[in-house]
Amino acid sequence: MALPRATSFTPAVRLLGSCYKQTPFVPHLSAGWRDISGGEYRRPGQPRYNTPIWKRFDFHKGVQGMQKHFTLLKEEFLSRWIGPEGKPLVEHMLEQTRVIWEFRGPESLDQWTVSSDCEIGGRSEAYLKLGRNNTTCLLYGTLCSVPPRDGETRYSGYCTMRSKPPKGSFDSKKHHDWTSFNTLHLRIRGDGRPWMINVGAETYFSHQKDDMYSYFLYTRGGPYWQDVKIPFSKFFLSSRGRIQDDQHPLWLDKINTVGFTLGDKADGPFQLEIDFVAVCNDRAHTEQFAYEAYKRNPEV
Amino acid sequence: MSPYVFTLLIFNLGLGTTMTFASSHWLLAWMGLEINTLAIIPLMTRQHHPRAVEATTKYFLTQATAAALILFASTSNAWLTGEWAINQMSHPLATSTIMLALALKLGLAPVHFWMPEVIQGLDLTTGLVLSTWQKLAPFALLLQVSSTVNPLILTLIGLLSTLIGGWGGLNQTQLRKILAYSSIAHLGWMVLIIQFSPPLATLSLLIYIIMTTSAFLTFKLTSSTTMNALATSWTKSPMMTSLATLILLSLAGLPPLTGFMPKWLILQELVKQDLPMLAFFAAMTALLSLYFYLRLCYTVALTSSPNTITMLTPWRLNPTQTSPLNPLTTMLTLALLPLTPAILALVIY
Repeated sequence: MALPRATSFTPAVRLLGSCYKQTPFVPHLSAGWRDISGGEYRRPGQPRYNTPIWKRFDFHKGVQGMQKHFTLLKEEFLSRWIGPEGKPLVEHMLEQTRVIWEFRGPESLDQWTVSSDCEIGGRSEAYLKLGRNNTTCLLYGTLCSVPPRDGETRYSGYCTMRSKPPKGSFDSKKHHDWTSFNTLHLRIRGDGRPWMINVGAETYFSHQKDDMYSYFLYTRGGPYWQDVKIPFSKFFLSSRGRIQDDQHPLWLDKINTVGFTLGDKADGPFQLEIDFVAVCNDRAHTEQFAYEAYKRNPEV
Repeated sequence: MSPYVFTLLIFNLGLGTTMTFASSHWLLAWMGLEINTLAIIPLMTRQHHPRAVEATTKYFLTQATAAALILFASTSNAWLTGEWAINQMSHPLATSTIMLALALKLGLAPVHFWMPEVIQGLDLTTGLVLSTWQKLAPFALLLQVSSTVNPLILTLIGLLSTLIGGWGGLNQTQLRKILAYSSIAHLGWMVLIIQFSPPLATLSLLIYIIMTTSAFLTFKLTSSTTMNALATSWTKSPMMTSLATLILLSLAGLPPLTGFMPKWLILQELVKQDLPMLAFFAAMTALLSLYFYLRLCYTVALTSSPNTITMLTPWRLNPTQTSPLNPLTTMLTLALLPLTPAILALVIY
């Protein structure tokens, strides 16, 4: 597929474009065909499409898209006859571990979105690629906590990798249902930096759109793999980055995204290698919620 | 929540329903419904959990829409016919709109979509109030207008509700959503028969309330909100778990449990009214509901879920409630069927 020619790369755009690359640069045609009046969000670094919509029309892609979505719809309909979440009931009852994401090929990287503070004008870089033997993923890059000179940003220096929310047929919203589990199990190999794991549950429009449940991930940095098991009862609620006084446990029936964030104010290179992200049911863990749930300033 | 505020809200909950019961004017009935809605909103957000707030917002929006529709229909009827009385509604536009509004209030298909989400976001006690008490006032209005509504609309709504209540609950693993779909299905049965025999619809509602109360309270006692949690509750309290099984079968409408009574009487009445095909379809849709209730019983009682504890009753639950409501409703849920002739004599004839 030929790259679009009608883009003129200014030096700034080229710099932004080199901030993060998940895969070799491929024009996002699926974003292009909907971008009729430039209404859809264009990530900094992505080139602006100046070709009109009628020139970008591709019948073959349209047919492929229809086939894909109708196949998903048919599977959704038929899986209803099998059992909850398309699996037999016995499997649902007996399930104690489930690997959600494992990196076994280039298509597994498409399920993740990488971003860093270069979106707000910072100078960090983050890249995602497959690790050795195509069995792991490697998130690497450089943190730079110099704030962008736009007069209003005071802090900078973060990068994040977040899973894309699951989508059903015709891009309908689906959620992960992890009520049978109570622990997040990761196998990672870090560089000693303190990361943060963010779980994004389903929110209701503008009411809770910035709500996120977070916990820390301290990596060891050695050549040995690290098995991290974090119970979901340990995740605390924060909104727009501020930890809330009124804490609530994470409800596991509608999980949208899981993400890793690095923002430890230490400039320099970083890397995190992930083997898999799984959930498991640790029956020895009986804690419901790790933080105080009672009212701390009760009015008498 | 301050006990004074809590008492006030509970009082207003009762006041709203009573006002709607006692009213013959649409405005007073609408006011009662609004008081009901406004009283339960703070009760739903007692926990301030984001999901509870979401459920409350969704509930408020749907109920406010329904109340606005009721007001619109009643004022249209007053404009077109000059009548404000509830049982004097005669204009077809008004009666159809009011039926749609009451369907939205009750959570009947095709406007049932809010019900599972709202009940899933609440704790079991508030879900119980939503499934039982909040149905009384709109049902009272439905009883009064059912004679004037187009019978086809009632039949379609009823049949669609039983179908969707059965279909939607098929692959659910969350108990609250299962009870929400069960509510949709049971209300569908009531709406089917309300045009032929309103006392029978009232009896069905009463028995549904008893069964749902016992179901919710049993789940609360075993602290189970998912299928897996209920399946592993046999170690906590084998008696409650076996009762939960029987309560679910009663909700499914299996004899010799109480839940069979309304289904049997409704099917009998439909056949008496020369509608055997409608009775057939209603019974077929009840099979869908029966499937997911039986599946719950299968996971609870007929299989032994994986559990690290291999001995029975390793600990005893501290009794968290001292009221006799759970034993009373459970007993009524399981043992009322032999009293059917007496109930018929008292209620219907």
